[in-house]
Amino acid sequence: MLTCPACGCENLEGSDHCEQCQAPLTDLSLPQATTALEKSLLHDRIEILKPRPAVSFPPEAPIGEVLRRMVSERMGCVAVVDDKQRLLGIFTERDALLRLNVEVDKLRDKPVGSLMTSSPTTLRPRDKIAYALHRMNVGGFRHIPLVDDNERLVGVISIRGILAYLTARQRV
Amino acid sequence: MSFLSLSTDLVTQAYPDQPLAVAIDATVGEVLELMRAQRGSCVLICSDNADGCRLEGIFTERDALRWMAAGGDHHTNIRLSMTRTPVVLPATATVGAAIDLMSQRGLRHLPIVDEQGTPQGVVAVGGIVHYLVEHFPQAIYTLPPEPGKRYMHREGA
Repeated sequence: MLTCPACGCENLEGSDHCEQCQAPLTDLSLPQATTALEKSLLHDRIEILKPRPAVSFPPEAPIGEVLRRMVSERMGCVAVVDDKQRLLGIFTERDALLRLNVEVDKLRDKPVGSLMTSSPTTLRPRDKIAYALHRMNVGGFRHIPLVDDNERLVGVISIRGILAYLTARQRV
Repeated sequence: MSFLSLSTDLVTQAYPDQPLAVAIDATVGEVLELMRAQRGSCVLICSDNADGCRLEGIFTERDALRWMAAGGDHHTNIRLSMTRTPVVLPATATVGAAIDLMSQRGLRHLPIVDEQGTPQGVVAVGGIVHYLVEHFPQAIYTLPPEPGKRYMHREGA
């Protein structure tokens, strides 16, 4: 039951207006954050996770070079950008496993642009952390590239950064 | 909605996956094909002995990437590419312990083993995140479809 804050009349759950006094009730059904952690998820922006600048490649870079760089930089995800730094796609460990697999030797000179995941889910640094968690949990992603308003690559956030954020908040 | 309690909830609540397992004499090629076919992100390498199977090593996406970058031969025995004696957890470990191990050691998969060393499951970072998200469904699952947009009406129409 929704109790009207103006007249105290009991209304059906989900009513837009109070039956008795017509006062608007829409705000009462908005979900409210209950814990401090939940509030901070809806308040903190992705930029406070200090996303590291992504390693990026042009689409014509050979896949062998990309693989070596991913191993040496210990990155699970690299970005593919055009000459204006606009994001074209990402290439992750998962792509390597599913698309290269045992045929890696035949494909070593192929351009990364033909094997990447094109138009990945992106977010902006000013978006709230709750969005990053939602996208990662629902889409099963481990990395989300961050772009600015002109689609230019800014960085990449990883699931580990989010995990560190969540546990740091949980223990204070 | 239960209260988030990392120090009492057990790793078995953090959605462990059924492990993919291969014998110790498998080749890297076979393991990679298995990972692709099953869309798995890690494989446990086990040896058979009298009292069941014992965990010998783990082969993850990162090991696969290293093997691919080095341009290895896919008839190589998996023993030479796997990570030996991986960090494991008993089924009685807490979620908090799993998270600590993952963030300190930079791991994404932790096998759960019983007293005999037989793998029971693998807890992955995705499972942990799913476990965490379930504790604040209102904040995560009721977000508007696009960040930074305001809708005039409740239905968003």
